[in-house]
This record gives sequence, structure tokens and C-alpha cells, in this order.
Amino acid sequence: MMTASLNEYVIISSLLFVIGFFGVLLRRNTLVVFMCLELMLIASTLALVAFSRFNATMDGNIFVFFILTVAAAEVAVGLAIIVALFRKRQTVQIDQLDSLKN
Amino acid sequence: MTPVALALTVLLAPLGSAAVIALFLRRQGTLASAVSLAAALAVAVAGLGLALGGDAYRFNASTEWLKLGSFSLSLGFKFDDLAALMLSIVGIVGVCVHVFSLGYMHDDEAKARYFGGLSIFMFSMLGIVFADNLFMMFIFWELVGFSSYLLINHWHERAAPAAASKKAFIANRVGDFGFLLGIVMCYWANHTVNLSELDALAAKDGLVFSALIPLLLFCGAVGKSAQLPLQVWLPDAMEGPTPVSALIHAATMVAAGIYMLCRINVLMVPDALTVIMWTGTATALYAALCAIVQSDIKKILAYSTLSQLGYMVAAFGLGSLAVAHGDHSHMVAAGVGAAMFHLMTHAFFKALMFLGSGSVIHGCHHEQDIFKMGGLKTKMPLTFATFTLGVLAIIGFPFLAGFFSKDAILYLAYAKNTPVFALLALTAVLTSFYMVRLWKITFLGAARSDAAAHAHEGGLTLTLPLVVLAILSVFGGYTALYPKVFSEVFVLIPIAHGTDHMVILITSVAVTVIGAASALVFYKSAATDSLGAKSPGLFGALTALQFSFDRGYDYYVAKVQQRFALFLNFLEQIFLAGLIVRGLAGIVGLVGLGARGLHVGRLNVYLYWFLLGLVILWIYATEIF
Repeated sequence: MMTASLNEYVIISSLLFVIGFFGVLLRRNTLVVFMCLELMLIASTLALVAFSRFNATMDGNIFVFFILTVAAAEVAVGLAIIVALFRKRQTVQIDQLDSLKN
Repeated sequence: MTPVALALTVLLAPLGSAAVIALFLRRQGTLASAVSLAAALAVAVAGLGLALGGDAYRFNASTEWLKLGSFSLSLGFKFDDLAALMLSIVGIVGVCVHVFSLGYMHDDEAKARYFGGLSIFMFSMLGIVFADNLFMMFIFWELVGFSSYLLINHWHERAAPAAASKKAFIANRVGDFGFLLGIVMCYWANHTVNLSELDALAAKDGLVFSALIPLLLFCGAVGKSAQLPLQVWLPDAMEGPTPVSALIHAATMVAAGIYMLCRINVLMVPDALTVIMWTGTATALYAALCAIVQSDIKKILAYSTLSQLGYMVAAFGLGSLAVAHGDHSHMVAAGVGAAMFHLMTHAFFKALMFLGSGSVIHGCHHEQDIFKMGGLKTKMPLTFATFTLGVLAIIGFPFLAGFFSKDAILYLAYAKNTPVFALLALTAVLTSFYMVRLWKITFLGAARSDAAAHAHEGGLTLTLPLVVLAILSVFGGYTALYPKVFSEVFVLIPIAHGTDHMVILITSVAVTVIGAASALVFYKSAATDSLGAKSPGLFGALTALQFSFDRGYDYYVAKVQQRFALFLNFLEQIFLAGLIVRGLAGIVGLVGLGARGLHVGRLNVYLYWFLLGLVILWIYATEIF
């Protein structure tokens, strides 16, 4: 069976991160932006797991556990904010959330 | 009462009177005048009590007022024979002027303000007399300047007094600045400005001498005693009420400069004395020349005051004299003695003549032009008699007050410096000339106006002070008549002996007679100014001389100072207001404008800024630049 090398893991991880990054920058829907943020987190955890595996240590894995825990909490809060925002403003489009200035 | 308590009473009575008048009696002129007169009487009685008390009543006392680090400022009394003499003069003339004011200012609408002003003046003047250090003297020096301003400006609704008061204040300020610098410099050099401590330092040769210290201090006297070139304010100050001119601008305040010089005599050095001597001589001659062409009775007296102040300053500047005692001689501060002696006699006869002129002005319904008077001899006999005594005293008629004091100065000049002696003798001729001219035109001949024709003698309040001052003008020159309490000063008066005595006596009588006779001949039938008619060139030249300083200052202020001010204003507009103030504001505004541009209100744009910040931080952290 053919096993993937570290390079492939890192490339996939970077691709995921870049997709997430540009998603955050370019998308207009808050929910999608949020998902892209999560994508970036996942990309970094993927890289950490790969490093852990190829170094034959547990350091990266332990790091991932912490990131997942924090991310879960963050998602709970973030989604709640988005729901509250929608209730308040009837929209989650970023362009329309401009009351900081207007 | 202890001497200190008595002195405090003297000093604080007029202050209390001024406070009561200013706070409660502003609408009650009669009551205010009574309060003020009571204060003046208290000053005279308690002051004379102190002065005549002799050695038991000579004391030094002081209390610390302000302490700044190692520098401490004290207020205190230094009451010696010199201060006692000055206090007696201020007390006596003060009472005379207060009494005279009762009559003269009887119908004035702002009588309360006037008497309040007199009281605050008395307080300030007494402060100078008592002051035991130069800082305290400076404080009261400024206060007399202020009260002088207040009283010149009494009829402030008229333009001339308002302008004159400002002129007096500003001219004094110029001199006072020098005075202040002198005090600071004296403190810097000697670490004390206490008069007694300076005396003590001088006694053990510990004094730091510099010509600059006495000359800077002399600047104060130049301003206050109206010496050249700051004399311009005194003739204009005659716009004030006449009793004020008598008290402040003839007898006491303008003499404060001489008094101050006598106080700091230990600081004097020969170079400084020479400058002081020539300043005084020049002022004496200049003012006497100006007095000849005046037609306003008060202006003549004002220039005469200037001239006599010049005499005193010159006397002080002539300095000490070696007096022989058997086969050895010692130096005596004859300048101080002669100056203070003349200050005293001058205070009496000049106050007398100013009050006499006030009586004349009052009698002639506020006419001040002597060529519109005439014939007042019969209309106002008492004023005529006392004024005549005043004139005789000032021109040095034998055996009157001025004769002795002027002879003392002339003798000192004769012994020390011949050119000064010649100039002072010439001044004495001129003095005799213009005083007899004034006296003859005002009192003799026929009345030349309705006002003079219907002139009348004032009430008792107007004549009583004249009589008192006339008696003092006659007998004030006999130092032997005085109680022994002023001996520290009187012992300094230079007295001529032998041939010197004859020279001085002949000179003195000759100048008096020449001046008086030529005036009587020249103005034999004068309805107008005969000098102007007979010799327009001389008249014009003297008038031009009188206005030369005013013209010079006008030119300086309008053309030099004003242009410099405009130039500075231009620089200020360009650099301070333009570049610095508006420029900085502009830069900050631009930064603000840029920063506001970043604030767009959209979340994703903030994200870009966040990223940008991150990149900058990263660049900084990795030290790429």
C-alpha cells in the first residue's frame, strides 16, 4: 500500500489554509467566513498531526487536542453571535454590517 | 506706647482710613474727608511724637514676611534721624494739604475718592520713610507711583489728566525697572539689601563696590524725582488737583528719590556720584530755562520743582567734604546733609506756593493763566503775603529758609567743583527771575480778566495751611531752632567759614538781586509775555527746549518703537502664528484626515488593515529593514 509522504500532507494543509484564508478575505456571508476560519484551523491541525506522526512524538497530537477543544468552544460562541446578529439585523451579509461608521 | 507700636500706628492709620473710605464711604464725601483728615492728624501727632522723642525713639525692628529657600524678605522699620526728619516733613505737609483740600475740593463730586487717594498716598509714602530694606522700599515705591496715578487722574473724565496720569506711570516704570535691577544686583553682590546691614558691611570694609549698583538704584530716583531724561511726566502731572501737586509732586513723593539716595549713601562710588551730580545740575538748569516761558501758574511751579530737585540731586552728587578739625580733617557726607536740608526747606516753601497757587486758582474760578490774573494783591491779601514769603524763600532772600539751604549747596559746589558751582549759580539767577516774574504778574498791576477782578480769599481751611507753611518757610532754615533730635542729619550740613563764607554770601545775594531786579524791570507792565514779544527767537528756543524731550519720545514711540513692534508682529504672524501654530495644527489635521480614511465601517476592510498591521509587525520583527 502506498503511503503519503510528509510533503503531501503539508501541501494539502497549506492548500486548505489558503482556501480558508481567501474565503475569509473575499466571502461576504458571515457564516461562510466563519466556516473558512474553521477551515484554517483544521488545516493547521492537519499539519500538526502530520508532523507528530513523522517525528514519532506525541507533541503535535496533544496540541491538536487543545486546538479542537478551543475551536469547539469558539464555534459555540461564534454561531450564537451570528444567530443573535441575524435576529437583530435580519442579515448576515458583511457589506451590510456597516453600522460602525454609518 | 512702645516706639514700634507708635510707628505701626503712624503707618497703618492712613491705610485704615483708605480701606474704610474705599469700602464704606464712597458716596459720603464729607465723612470720608473727616476720616482722612483724622488719619493725617494721627500721622502728624504720632509721627512728630516719634521724631521728637530723641534717641529713645530711634529703633530698628523687622519681621520676616516671605521665605523662599535661603532668600528671605522682611518688612521692617529703620527709624533713625534721617527717617525722623522725613517723617516730620511728610506729617506736617500732609496735614496742611489735607486741611487745604477740605476747602479746595469742597464741591467736588468725587470727594471720597480724592480723600481715599490721599490716605493711600500717605500710607505708601510713610512706608518708604520707614523701610529698612530696599525690597520693602521698592514695594512702597510702586505704591506711591500708583497713588500718584490715582490722584493725577482724579478728573479722569477729561482727556488731559487721563493722559498725564498714564505718562507719569509709564515714565516712572522706566526708572523703577532700573531700581529693581539695582536692588537685585545689590543683593547678588552683598547678599543683603537691608540698610542697616549694608551700613555694618561698609563700616568693616566688607561692601562690594561697583558703579553699576548705585547708578541702577539712581534710575529709580531719576524716575520718581523727575530728573533728566525722565522729567517729562512732572509738568504734565499738574493736571491733577492743586493740593495733590503740593503734597505729591512738590513736597514729598518727588523728594523720595533724594531720600532714597541718602539712604543708600554707603553704596556710592565716585564715578556714580559724578553722573548723579551732572544729572542734577543739568536738570536744575534745564527746568529753570523752561520755567521762564511758562504762562500756567502751576506749570511754572512744576518746572521750579524740577529745578530744585535737580539742586538736591546735584548736592547729593557732590559728595563728601573734608572738614578740618584742628590739625587733622575727616570726611563728612556733606552731600546728604545739604540735599536733605534743601529737601526740607523746599518741602515747606514749595508746598506753600503750590497751596498759594491753589488759593489763587480757587479765587479766580479755576483760571490758571498768570497773564489773565494781576492785581490780586488787594483782593487776596493773605495769599499774597504768604506767597511772597514763599517766593522770597525760594529765591534765597537772606535769612529765609531757602537762603540757608541753597547756600549750603552752593558752598558745597564751590568747594568741590567750580563748573557745577557756576551752573548752579546761573540756575539761581534764573530761579529768582522766573519766580519774581510769576509773583509780579500774578499779584501786582491791574486785573486783566473778569475772574481776577472778582477774585476773593477762600475760607479758613484755605488760608490756615498757608500761614503754617509760611511760618515754616521763614524759620525752617535755622537749624539751631530745631530740637536736637535731627542732629545726625544736621551735623552733615556743610557750613562755609572765613573767606568762603563771604564769597558764598555775596554770590547768593548777587544772584538773587540780579534775577529779581531783571524780572521786575523786564515785566514792568506786562499784560502779555514780554519775552515772547521782545525776543521771539529766545522765547521760541526756550519753548522748543521745553518740548524737545516730549518730541524726542514721541518720535521714538511713534517711529522707532512702533515700527519695531510692527516688525515683531510680522515675524510673529509668519513664524509663531503661521508656521508653528497653524503649521502644527495642519499636520495633525492631515494625520487625522488620513486616519479617518482608514475607518470605513466595513468588517472585511478592517481585516485587511489587520493583515497589513501583521505584515508590518512581521517586517519589523524579522528586521528586514
